Amino acid sequence: MIGESNDATSDEARTLYVESPIIMATVRVITPFVFTLGLFVMFHGADSSGGGFQGGVIVGTVVVMLGIAFGIEVTRDWIGPKLAVGFVGLGVLAFLLVGVGSVLLGGGFLEYAVYADYGVPHASKYGIELVELSIGLIVAGIVTGLFFIIAAGMDDDGGDFE
Amino acid sequence: MTTAIEFALLAFVLASAVATALLRDVLSSIIAFSAYSLGIAVIWVFLRAPDVGLTEAAVGAGVMTVLFLLTIAKTVRPAGERTLEGVDLKALAIAVGLVAVLSTTLFALPPVGAADSAVATDDVTQYYLDNAYEETEVKNAVTAVLAAYRGFDTLGEAVVVYAAGISLLLVLGRGVSG
Repeated sequence: MIGESNDATSDEARTLYVESPIIMATVRVITPFVFTLGLFVMFHGADSSGGGFQGGVIVGTVVVMLGIAFGIEVTRDWIGPKLAVGFVGLGVLAFLLVGVGSVLLGGGFLEYAVYADYGVPHASKYGIELVELSIGLIVAGIVTGLFFIIAAGMDDDGGDFE
Repeated sequence: MTTAIEFALLAFVLASAVATALLRDVLSSIIAFSAYSLGIAVIWVFLRAPDVGLTEAAVGAGVMTVLFLLTIAKTVRPAGERTLEGVDLKALAIAVGLVAVLSTTLFALPPVGAADSAVATDDVTQYYLDNAYEETEVKNAVTAVLAAYRGFDTLGEAVVVYAAGISLLLVLGRGVSG
């Protein structure tokens, strides 16, 4: 267990990852449900409690669970270094585009109603959901990136970063 | 019945907070802290703020616990058998004094759910409640305020998260990969 390795001698004995069939089986079963819940919270933030921020954290948790079950290094190699950062950038760009887009079309900033004139049904509702989704992308990307980067600091030989 | 549950929750949250401060083992401390977050999340739900409760449960009890656990993975358990950390009396006095000063503001707050509180009688609140459904077509007034009426603020928050997160990844990433 973490923290109990008082007399840990080698670095191998200190790695956080313990291959546990129980954890792996559990994560394998609940991951799709948690992912769906995250997307649900994101999309239904407009009509029930929740929203992009909460949903994004839940989606990010999926990656955290995979990392804990199958090893953080393996998960990071599988996902790749660019995806999380890409999500964050994409989320900010999408939010900006929705906001500035309505200005370009002759309305105020984030004036969703403008889009209705260009044939978007329920422009306000779908605009808000798009904004929630982009917030979710930002948050999920940040949670995933932080998880990987903090875990990476754990694997080196310790001491101060220099 | 509800008040009994609320008091039990408050006692649980206070106990977990004290345990977080007093426990000597960092791992136990983190677990107590995550229990504290979970208790606070349920209290938010009782206070009719499910959005905040959801955030507290996901971020405070979930992600923060994992990040803390990763952070302490390189530390060792302190030697000795004691479970509790000794209390620093000076620090305790300062903490109690700060809480006492902050508590004076409590009397200025209206009771929970009071009809005549500034929040309930404010024109802006009333405008949101009256017009949110028609103007934004969403059923959650919180989301209507966040993403429509105060959308610019939310964009600012999103950009703050973006900037802070990216710079943290850059700084830590440089430290990790050399």
